[in-house]
Amino acid sequence: MNPLGQIVSAVDAYNAHVASEVRRARVDKKFAAGLRARWKKISSAIETTHSPTGTPLPRLALPATDEPGAIAGYLLGQGLPGEFPFANAAYREMYLDRGERVGPALAAGPSESRKAARRPAAARPLNSAPAAEEPTRLFAGLGLAEDTNARFHYLARHQPSTRLSTAFDGPTLYGLDSDHEGVLGKVGEGGVALDTVEDMERLYAGFDLLAPNASVSMTINGPAPAILAMFIAAAKRRFGPDGVARLRGTIQADILKEVQAQNEILFPVDASLRFLGDMIAWSTAHLPRFYPISISGYHIAEAGATPVQQAAFTLSNGFAYVELLRARGLDVNAFGPRLSFFLDCGLDVEYLVLGRVCRRLWAIAMRDVFGASPRAQAFKLHTQTSGRSLIAAGFKNNLTRTAVELLVAYLNASNSCHSNSADEPFTTPTEEYARLASHAQAILLEESGLFKHTMDFLAGSPGLLALERTVERAILDVFREIDSLGGVLPAMEHRYQRSKIQEAAHRYEQQINSGERPVIGLNRHVGASLADARAAPVPLARTPPRRQRFQVERLRAFKKKNAPRAPEALQRLESVTRAGGNVFAELLNTVEVCSLGQITACLTSVVGKYRPMV
Amino acid sequence: MSVASPPRLRPAPLRVLTAVPLCDGHDSAIVTINLELARHGAEVIYLGYHQAASAIARAAVQEDVHAVGLSSYNGGHRVFFREVRAQLRARGAADIPIFGGGGGTITAADARVMQRSGVDRIFFAGTPLAEMTRAITGDYARELRPDAKLRGDRALARAITLAESRSGLRPDPRKTARQRTRSASFVVGVAGPGGAGKSTLIDELAARFLRARRSRRLAILANDPSHPETRGAILGDRVSALYAQDERVFFRSLATRGSLTGLSAAAPAAIEILRRRGGFDLIFVESVGVGQESDPFRVFRQGEKLVDAVLFVLPPHYGGRIQLQKIALLDGADLVVLNKCDDPRASAAKAELGARLAANGRNQLLHTTIAAQHRDPGTDALCAAIGRLAGLESAGGEKPCHLCIGA
Ligand code: B12
Ligand SMILES: Nc1nc2c(ncn2[C@@H]2O[C@H](COP(=O)(O)OP(=O)(O)OP(=O)(O)O)[C@@H](O)[C@H]2O)c(=O)[nH]1
Ligand SMILES: [Mg+2]
Repeated sequence: MNPLGQIVSAVDAYNAHVASEVRRARVDKKFAAGLRARWKKISSAIETTHSPTGTPLPRLALPATDEPGAIAGYLLGQGLPGEFPFANAAYREMYLDRGERVGPALAAGPSESRKAARRPAAARPLNSAPAAEEPTRLFAGLGLAEDTNARFHYLARHQPSTRLSTAFDGPTLYGLDSDHEGVLGKVGEGGVALDTVEDMERLYAGFDLLAPNASVSMTINGPAPAILAMFIAAAKRRFGPDGVARLRGTIQADILKEVQAQNEILFPVDASLRFLGDMIAWSTAHLPRFYPISISGYHIAEAGATPVQQAAFTLSNGFAYVELLRARGLDVNAFGPRLSFFLDCGLDVEYLVLGRVCRRLWAIAMRDVFGASPRAQAFKLHTQTSGRSLIAAGFKNNLTRTAVELLVAYLNASNSCHSNSADEPFTTPTEEYARLASHAQAILLEESGLFKHTMDFLAGSPGLLALERTVERAILDVFREIDSLGGVLPAMEHRYQRSKIQEAAHRYEQQINSGERPVIGLNRHVGASLADARAAPVPLARTPPRRQRFQVERLRAFKKKNAPRAPEALQRLESVTRAGGNVFAELLNTVEVCSLGQITACLTSVVGKYRPMV
Repeated sequence: MSVASPPRLRPAPLRVLTAVPLCDGHDSAIVTINLELARHGAEVIYLGYHQAASAIARAAVQEDVHAVGLSSYNGGHRVFFREVRAQLRARGAADIPIFGGGGGTITAADARVMQRSGVDRIFFAGTPLAEMTRAITGDYARELRPDAKLRGDRALARAITLAESRSGLRPDPRKTARQRTRSASFVVGVAGPGGAGKSTLIDELAARFLRARRSRRLAILANDPSHPETRGAILGDRVSALYAQDERVFFRSLATRGSLTGLSAAAPAAIEILRRRGGFDLIFVESVGVGQESDPFRVFRQGEKLVDAVLFVLPPHYGGRIQLQKIALLDGADLVVLNKCDDPRASAAKAELGARLAANGRNQLLHTTIAAQHRDPGTDALCAAIGRLAGLESAGGEKPCHLCIGA
């Protein structure tokens, strides 16, 4: 059940294999000749492009070497972009301009690859160039469904494709209805209030969710199955049942990191994992373009974990999911390509290599321990810049912090990025700062030449490689520790991850307090910046009490309207849950007539509540 | 109750209750603040994240804290802090100050509004840790005195506080004799190694009790260690109490304050107070997770037992036969519970433990439970056994104990 020991051995074995191949390349003439020939072929296939000033540039930067050992070290140790072990990138060309190029194409010519992009993800050739879509994501959620819908339409105006990344309010995150006792003040704060399938219809109204360039992402975990069921039910209402298979998007649904860091788990861990498994099983069969889980380190890091802890806990959680899904009889090659990852990127130096190291470790474990195919080996990475690094004092400096983090995130070949707004410490982003955050991405990717012309501009420098090795070793050490506790789940029961994160958070704050960790505007170059910490120099996105009451009223109307049908639907949900059936499949019916809170209460009556830990 | 207490070496530590509001899981700030306050000698009773205003006020009263600290990030703080204030007032605890923070989400304008509704102080984003600890330990510590005006749980809680500040002093033999008239409370001492599942079991037992005895109350005394040098403590037992967060439960956390027995030196007095004036059917006393040789509930004072029954909880991975021989509590316990029976090592452990108990020849009951499982039948059976020992069963009973009616 606990694969971590095997994974550590597999990585050690792979590293030893690379080392021995490097040695072999230096002594075995035939092997060396073969490597040289391959190297030459790769190098000559690299197209040339030009910077706006006319400087010719290769579309892929390779180590300038002809030495067989170095070639073997590169090809096996890092891999070409899009090739095992994927240290450089999950895909071949990432964000490069599709424009003018000279010379033969490496695999597919530009016209072909553009065609490939239009095919559904499942039909795309092996880890070739990804769909030509910009990696920018912006997280939004405020007030009621209509308010968030309006914000989506505002954001979408500035983007060539539709990326609806949704934040939910506290009551929704905890599976409670807006009319639950004591939650009124929280309705629509920090995210959108969502109680029913009708709210879901309002949330994405006016967007063609079946368009190939549209996708939805939902940041929700404990209640994820009910919310995804509402999403599907709402889509059926609008596009008919045949549209479902074309829905594209991601739901976070990562329960393990909820226990470890974000604290939004509703049911006991085993029941939560069962509901998750039901949802993944269903979506693997019916939603070929949907990512039913986003394995997240972001929350772990924001709760205070170090970069190494973030990577180690996230990867080990990922392996635990693989193990659990296999134990349900699912095929790693069926669900593997549908697993995606979400990491934080802060200002600590380890972040320079975190994505690279994670991709490599994931690929080795997936191939050598779980026997996965290349599509399931690629670690698909969404990165968000660090919210916690953004502070209230002198808050405009947050623009710079985010820009630096964004640069680091793209240096790590993140597949997509969210950049935080400078007003992060105060409120749900205001339009002005949300726009600046998205423009930061445009400046980096479109205006600057850093990521347009050449893959791997900076990858493979001596400093980065040294850091990579150190970080990889440190992650393996954490794996060993978790392994010695019996694996991810037993370690969680001992509060292992939580206590490590809490210690790190405490140390971080103490370092700020002592000045050991410089924070500009807070403990250095302070000047007048502390005034910002009190004044909230931006308009605050707060939901007026009148709107909160309106949400409660329409929820009550929904409940009243469905009162004749709800009890039977809940009864069915209860018996499916008791009988061990697929809860997600039943939820698709339940959500037609029941609210989120009714569903949570029903499931709780069968499986109990999650028992929180310090 | 006498007010005058002989000179003490050190004043009682600051006790604060901390929590994060309903629908909010941002606990990183408060956990750091808990650690900092404890490091500076405070006893921090932590309630956890996603906590209702009523639960916060109830805990503040029962724990008789000097102040309540809230950390709120998910918005709605103006309303929520006001609600906590109102709940405290409704419980006769308007004098307990509330302070808090929430980084940049609580603005100076918010703070002014909140202060008008009775919030004492907001710590804004960027406040240095040292400044916060200084302000809190400096502003809120004060001596809690007897107060004849206090009622209900508040009076009970204050009596325990006074017992805590007098503890370490030898009990007055005449007084103890006078107070020997006992109520019908049945006191169960719960001991076992750290992490065995004591708190989880108590909470599950509480759930069954509350369900079966609709209008009755129970009490829980949870002992946790103080740090030997700083004297501070983080008392976190309430965090994982799901069902014991109830108006019908009096829950009190006690720091050991240097006592090495596994219980606070004030525990005997606190038990006595609960027995005398509580009206509780059952009282659970959880000891600190202790080593093998000690028995925190051993006979004390002139042959009188501290508790009516001792429940000893053990996980399956206690370390083999040799270890078993050394565990003193296996001789003293009335009920022995092998918990975590979802662990594959459980069946071997059960056989060993059974043999060990048989050798005692004391008719001790061995129960097997999975406390972490919803509606665990083993816990039902344990609950019934406690009901029988406590005489809480309806007389003449072939009927199943009504303490453990599954709902
Ligand atoms: C870390 C963080 C997270 C982590 C939390 C991890 C955890 N376990 O705590 C994660 C990533 C999980 C998270 C999730 C969410 N978050 Co968040 N998060 C933050 C962040 C970045 C930092 C907060 C923090 O802990 N800072 C560190 C502390 C130590 O410093 P501080 O905040 O400056 O506080 C100081 C003082 O105020 C004082 N203090 C604080 N509390 C207390 C209490 C007492 C008693 C005392 C004495 C002092 C005190 O201590 C500090 C010392 O200087 C803020 C934005 C920001 N940069 O502030 C958003 C923020 C709070 N989050 C926000 C939101 C919306 C969410 C989500 C709801 C998003 C969503 N829809 O999914 C979820 C909800 C999570 C949940 N379960 O409730 C919003 C809230 C918006 C609002 N209120 O209008 C913020 C402001 C970001 C934003 N602009 O959108 N978040
Ligand atoms: N697998 C499993 N875990 C359990 C069981 N009972 C409790 N746990 C878990 O064990 C851990 C410790 O449980 P607690 O109830 O806090 O143990 P405790 O004996 O009170 O611990 P201390 O007070 O720290 O000594 C928690 O993570 C519980 O969820 C059980 O029956 N099976
Ligand atoms: Mg305990």
